[in-house]
Amino acid sequence: MASSDSKATTTQEKAPTQQQSKPEEEQKPSNAAVLGEDDEFEDFPVDDWAEEETEAAGGNNTTQHLWEESWDDDDTTDDFSTQLKEELKKVEASKRR
Amino acid sequence: MGMKGYDLAQTLSPIPPADKPDRLKAVWLSTNHYGVKDDVTHGLVQALTSRSGYPREEVREEVNGWTEVFSAYWKAIGELLAVDGDSIVNGRRTSWTKVYEAWKEMTMALHRGYTHHNFEAWTIPCLYTAGKYLRAFAIKSDEERGQIDAGGDGLEIRDDFDPEMEKHQQLRDCEQQLKRIFTLCLTDRAEITESRKWGIYAIVNLLFKTYFKLNSANLARTILKALSTNKGNMPPLEAFPAAQRVTFKYYEGVLSFLEENYVEAEKHLDEAWRGCKKDAMPNKERILAYLIPCRLLTTHTLPSKALLEPFPRLQKSFLPLAQCIRRGDLHGFDLALQQGEEEFVKRRIYLTLERGRDIALRNLLRKVFLAKGFEEPKNPGDAPLRKTRIRVAEFGAAISFANRETTDSDEVECLLANMIYKNLMKGYISREHGIVVLSKNGAFPGTGV
Repeated sequence: MASSDSKATTTQEKAPTQQQSKPEEEQKPSNAAVLGEDDEFEDFPVDDWAEEETEAAGGNNTTQHLWEESWDDDDTTDDFSTQLKEELKKVEASKRR
Repeated sequence: MGMKGYDLAQTLSPIPPADKPDRLKAVWLSTNHYGVKDDVTHGLVQALTSRSGYPREEVREEVNGWTEVFSAYWKAIGELLAVDGDSIVNGRRTSWTKVYEAWKEMTMALHRGYTHHNFEAWTIPCLYTAGKYLRAFAIKSDEERGQIDAGGDGLEIRDDFDPEMEKHQQLRDCEQQLKRIFTLCLTDRAEITESRKWGIYAIVNLLFKTYFKLNSANLARTILKALSTNKGNMPPLEAFPAAQRVTFKYYEGVLSFLEENYVEAEKHLDEAWRGCKKDAMPNKERILAYLIPCRLLTTHTLPSKALLEPFPRLQKSFLPLAQCIRRGDLHGFDLALQQGEEEFVKRRIYLTLERGRDIALRNLLRKVFLAKGFEEPKNPGDAPLRKTRIRVAEFGAAISFANRETTDSDEVECLLANMIYKNLMKGYISREHGIVVLSKNGAFPGTGV
């Protein structure tokens, strides 16, 4: 009972919001267009900046730890690695049998 | 070019400055349709002769040119105020298409100024302002038409109707204008210090944005070819302002990326990244969105948590993928790719990321290799040697486990052969014995084992 009651209220609440949101829906095409060009580069607020203001400023040591090797040998205790070892043991055992 | 070129360009902006929100209205009210040309000419001649003491005749030609530009600007401002519904223009009905047409008139008047009225090179920031807003108004006009068409009953659809062409009709027209400005800058033969060539990258960047929006990125390659043909008599890219350099490198990188030339793409994108303004977060995010898939394929490296930390959206899309690649979790990788599919397709990186599955598989096989451990040393004290003979069945079990479904041995062999072919794993398959014999020095090149 309680759940159907609350449903009724939500639909009632929804009705007017849908009407209100109509003007927004009309604007939707332009919003979609904006999302679609997500990768369009923005104009910078200034035309030029000094070396110290760039991402590269501060030398290589700041950027080096930002990229890591694609494998991770330390990550051997997670579920995936543990289960994988189990699987390998099973094949090993089946061979001996 | 100095600051005065930018100051002049500012007077041609359709956006009022923050401290003078009523500037457009003031411009509009300052004259009328009948008097605009006389008023502009009068003002310009007065300003030029009083300040620089030029004789009237010599500035005449130039003044005529600017008169055309500013009166066209005045008309465009009228349309712009009207489209915003400003009561100042008496509620006249207009459209973004009319704003576009009026702005195009101004842009063409400006162009004529350089070819017919001796406009000097220091004024070229005006070309960028004209081009930038021409593009913005073209997009508005196309959107507006799209909305009207969507509301219609579709009776006007003809046999030769091409929705894609129709959708960007105004932007295509705008592209023609931008291309004319590009040529105007590129073909200037004046001394380099007095050359319109200093306007080239600003316009090229506008063209790039336009081509990407038109889904004709390949046309951007034509522009790059024209640039490189003229490289000898152009100022080097390094001599241009940072904003233009970084934007140019971003698009050059994305273009190479779309052409699947990942080595080239990485070079350009890395340059864009390093030169980018530190606090320009949205642009940094855009660069990374391409640099990450690029590096995955070229150097097999992944972004660290620290790198993704300031970009929640990139974190959401790339962290799960990165973790599955590291672990060799093939099924997890497929899920993560599927989860981000919409975003990845939109950014045109889906197919590239899909190729990251090879790296996940490489890491999985590498784990099997590490788990096998070492041979019994023949003599005590010998350096330990890893076991390099691994049964296909062992790899098969690992692959089936990582796929969460049984992968038959033919397919496993095929996957292994593919790894060897791509030089991600070194060795050969002995089908007869059902084993893989891995290389004793560097079974998984570049990974330390």
